[in-house]
Amino acid sequence: MIYLPIAEMPVDVLLVLLVSGAIGFVSGLVGVGGGFIMTPALIIMGIPAPVAVATGASQIAATSFSGIMTQTRRKAIDWRMGMLLSIGGILGSACGVWLFERLLNMGQLDLTISLLYLVLLASVGGLMLAESLAVMRGRSARGVTVLRRPLRAVARNLPFRLRFPRSGLYISVILPLLLGFGIGALAAIMGVGGGFALIPAMIYLLRMPTNVVIGTSLFQVLIVASLIVVMQASATQTVDLVLAALLMFGGVVGAQLGVRLGAGLKSEHLRALLSLVLLAASAKFLWDLGIEPREHYVLGGGRW
Amino acid sequence: MRRWLAVLALVLVCAPARAQQPAGASDLPAAVAEPLISVGSDYRGSVIDIWGVNTDRRLRGDIVVVVRGPNQAATVMHKRRVFGLWINSSPVRFSETPSFFAVLSARPLRQIVSRQVILRNRLDPAASAQLASAVPAGGDPSAYREALVRLRRDQGLYQEFTGPPSRTRRSGLTPHQGGLFHAVVRLPANAPIAAYQVETYLFREGRLMSSQRIPISIERVGVERRIHDLATNASWLYGIVTVLIALAAGWAASALFRRS
Repeated sequence: MIYLPIAEMPVDVLLVLLVSGAIGFVSGLVGVGGGFIMTPALIIMGIPAPVAVATGASQIAATSFSGIMTQTRRKAIDWRMGMLLSIGGILGSACGVWLFERLLNMGQLDLTISLLYLVLLASVGGLMLAESLAVMRGRSARGVTVLRRPLRAVARNLPFRLRFPRSGLYISVILPLLLGFGIGALAAIMGVGGGFALIPAMIYLLRMPTNVVIGTSLFQVLIVASLIVVMQASATQTVDLVLAALLMFGGVVGAQLGVRLGAGLKSEHLRALLSLVLLAASAKFLWDLGIEPREHYVLGGGRW
Repeated sequence: MRRWLAVLALVLVCAPARAQQPAGASDLPAAVAEPLISVGSDYRGSVIDIWGVNTDRRLRGDIVVVVRGPNQAATVMHKRRVFGLWINSSPVRFSETPSFFAVLSARPLRQIVSRQVILRNRLDPAASAQLASAVPAGGDPSAYREALVRLRRDQGLYQEFTGPPSRTRRSGLTPHQGGLFHAVVRLPANAPIAAYQVETYLFREGRLMSSQRIPISIERVGVERRIHDLATNASWLYGIVTVLIALAAGWAASALFRRS
């Protein structure tokens, strides 16, 4: 047990290390920050939600940086694309923080977060599962072209096209900027890095090759998560350094093991695995919203 | 040993008071064993020891001990079913609620004093909570107040105890010989770190005879304090330091695993 100076409560060191290690492992395996599991997990442990959101971001930064080091050695990062996504992400997260405050004042932040998780996790997870299952059965991925074709047409006709040699793409810069903006806003509101939504978007919307997708998304996630940590620390003072250190330690060790194992797996298997994790998480949110609670009143506001 | 020192100190303090006790209300002699509770990295809550003396010559009346944390605002929301989903709605704001509240007595509070006296002296947490916003149509104000007390009680932040501590519960009030009483309040680790107030009351036949207020404070020490000070006084620096630590941790893990 160790006392957290900002959260003002003691936590079990071993439990936090185990949980963050397991989440880091999954994140290294499939290339997501893991925030969408980490933030709810911390809240279940009794950490106040704002502390969980802000501190979780610092762990995401550590995990994604560790992942980037590994991906750089494999030359699996499209830096040009990553920069554009990050610029969009910085603007988006600033917007997201503003929206976060508005929703908090309206008293509907909890519901918005839950519904966002539910819809986003279920749709992204379902889409990826369908695709990866189709690939595994030996068919090429023609199943989800419905969504892809018109968007690709739009992407081709937008101005400011730029060549991305690493990804073998020649597309408008507006697309990655917009994508980064949306992910940044989501990240700030939901307390996640956004990799779980960014990776499918890069694959299906930008048509980036799978091998550079993970590294590039990690780069964007690192920039956005670092910014969120600094913004939250100065605006709300909810970043707990002791908790962050525990999460980082567990997270980076788990992530390294995950990346190691992930290198030996086929990409469609990885995607199927990620989609199952996403679907399970969305089922959890649906369950929480749909089951009649034992206590009909909840405490909000207070210290935080 | 500490306890006996406290008792000794108490006896010395209250000896002159007893000798020249006036007819009217006076300060009830009481003291806490530890007026300063320090919070380090191994903090897991603490215990507040309160000693005092019933100054009534024939030891009549009832002692009530209250430990009160600083007031803070709180919002209570009611969950409602909308399109099959349970969502938080109809928020009600309380401008002042005690962040921690414990009340101890030898017999049930309602047998000692009337409802009015409880309200006037704010002897229960619900009496201390100030409703700040209108309760939505169809809502019951007392239901919100009760919910607030119930939720905080589940967190261990509101405590009401009659009788001495036992094997199963560690908070309680024990009367000793010669009017000496000893109250123990368990302060859970989630109680806010702030300045608290211990209040001791002597009631006789439903009337307040004497009372005493003793401030106690809970403070961070050592590393806990340094981290908290940095986070509040130099928050930008704190955020940047956190990010740098994150990058270092990520780099270290990557470098270590590369070699092995």
